Amino acid sequence: MRTNRRLAVLAGSAVLLAAAVLLSLAAGSRGIAPGRVLQVLLRPDDSDASAILWSLRVPRTIIGLAVGAGLATAGVLMQALTRNPLADPRIMGVSSGASLGVVAAINVFGLTTLPSYIWFGIAGAALAGTFVYALAARARDGASPVTLALAGTALDASLTGVVIGVLTVNVKTFDQYRFWAVGSLSGRPIEVALWVLPFVVAGIVLAFGVAGGLDALALGDDVARGLGRNVGRVRLAAAVAAIVLTGAAVAAAGPIGFVGLALPHLARGLVGAHHRWVMAVSLLLGPALLLGADVIGRLVVPPAEIRAGIVTALVGAPFLILLVRRGRTVTA
Amino acid sequence: MRTGAPSYPVAGRVVVSAGPLTFVLRRRAAGMFLLLLALTAVAVVLSLGVGSTFVAPADVVRALAGDGPFTIVVQDLRLPRIVVALAVGTLLGLSGALLQAVSRNPLASPDVIGVSQGAGFAATVVMSTDLGAAWLGPFALLGGLTAATVVFTLSWRYGLAARRFVLCGIAVALATKALTEIFIVGADAIDGQRAQVWLAGSVAGTGYAEARILLIPLVVLLPVLLWAGRAMDTTALDDGVARGLGVRVTQRRLLLGVVGVILAALAISQAGAVDFVALAAAQLARRLVRAERPPLACSALAGALLTVVADLVARTAFAPVQLPVGVLTAVLGGPYLLWLLVRRTP
Repeated sequence: MRTNRRLAVLAGSAVLLAAAVLLSLAAGSRGIAPGRVLQVLLRPDDSDASAILWSLRVPRTIIGLAVGAGLATAGVLMQALTRNPLADPRIMGVSSGASLGVVAAINVFGLTTLPSYIWFGIAGAALAGTFVYALAARARDGASPVTLALAGTALDASLTGVVIGVLTVNVKTFDQYRFWAVGSLSGRPIEVALWVLPFVVAGIVLAFGVAGGLDALALGDDVARGLGRNVGRVRLAAAVAAIVLTGAAVAAAGPIGFVGLALPHLARGLVGAHHRWVMAVSLLLGPALLLGADVIGRLVVPPAEIRAGIVTALVGAPFLILLVRRGRTVTA
Repeated sequence: MRTGAPSYPVAGRVVVSAGPLTFVLRRRAAGMFLLLLALTAVAVVLSLGVGSTFVAPADVVRALAGDGPFTIVVQDLRLPRIVVALAVGTLLGLSGALLQAVSRNPLASPDVIGVSQGAGFAATVVMSTDLGAAWLGPFALLGGLTAATVVFTLSWRYGLAARRFVLCGIAVALATKALTEIFIVGADAIDGQRAQVWLAGSVAGTGYAEARILLIPLVVLLPVLLWAGRAMDTTALDDGVARGLGVRVTQRRLLLGVVGVILAALAISQAGAVDFVALAAAQLARRLVRAERPPLACSALAGALLTVVADLVARTAFAPVQLPVGVLTAVLGGPYLLWLLVRRTP
């Protein structure tokens, strides 16, 4: 595919993302004109608009950016690692690991505020992801795609079972847990955004670092070795990046599906299978989709909101089907 | 061996002929089948015995024969539910094996192609409106089949490519799940909670009426399943190779997929979305038999065994609170699948 076309796609994605960010700042049950948004952003004052913007919409938008970028990039990594088009950030048990961490925070340690869950979420995600990777690497064929995918799904199902079991038995935990688990960008204070950002940035840097290795890996292990790649190290680095990204995203916003699954397919359809390009486009379109969905969720039934995770799936599914039917999916 | 029958030089297989019938028997598959059958029988007897009144295994067997003091407890109270669990597990196991063969993806299961979510959406709608509980099963069945039909239609384009099938399936599944969540959020808290339990899957309070709905179609579909066991051998081949061998790839894939979808929709309509069974049973059976594809008979038994054991634990572990059986199938089946995956010996 020509570089010009890829650059055009990249530019288009960037414009989309900028529009989504502006909309996310401007739209809501109380709309603020785009001009006023820029004015207040540059010079905060005492007006209501400034208060709404800085206390509610800026944190929400930053979290949307971090979570969207994190999930989309993690999705690219997971699909490359498992060579399975169904792979998404859930697949290494990372998402349910974060859930279990949060349940432990509430149930065992008696924590009650959203920011205090976040470390437990990240820790749970890291433990579950490491466990799956270590287990799969112990198998005969060494963290092969199928083993990794199956081991992750098995652990994911087990941990989800444990979480549902605890919640069924313990109503009080359920009552608190559901506020985290709704998969939403709203109601998160700015601290959450600031704690999550470094993880997401680190994960993305690592992801771009192994992009070339993943291209080689897509040709098969033997060819990748022949090209001078250390297959085990590429897999490990990609897995670490995926775990960090998913863990941070899920800990901040709760489990949000679809972005991580669909975005890589969309990106590959647009720019081909080159991982560096796929990641770059996913990095822009992931937050654009999530923020766009969040804006739609705010506007359809004001003053109530439909959470971003739901809208993302509803808006994204037709696109994915269209893409698949046109035969534009490129193998991971 | 009958004279004239071709010798079968593949290790681990024997040709059995009885009268006019001759067939190839895979030794390991047959052994595993018998082992799983025995384990399932043991699990059923145990499950019949454990509960608020404990009945010793010997008494359970006597009660099943209609003898002894525990006949009512065993035959009337516990047996119907366990029969449902057995049937649900069998159907889901078969469905998982079929769908994984059709989609050529070890992660495929009824919840990947929208059957569980379609049924769940229909069930949630029924629960949050004034329609009676009697409509729950039929609507769920209809929902599951509708979702699957949508998936088949959307992924049909000059045939049914495996990859297009799963990707369209997951898109429909996620969108339907999102719709369900909107309904749950909008519904009364009680209805929402009930819907959640239904979505997790439970066989509590079911009996022979449900079992009949599950088992009659299974018997009707038995000839098709016998054909499917052989037909699946070609699903792993490259489409071009299979066509070259004279296989009608598209028709075969469609028929296998439809059977898998019907079995799953039936099971889910009666017991809720007991998700993990279909995925795990097929993969467990495949690894136990050491076959290339999930073997049908062993997948069915693995599903039944997993569901019966999960049901036993679900109703006794936190008694008097009954957990949804779907929770336990994952908690029990997951680690075992993990262990099979990492075992170093083949």
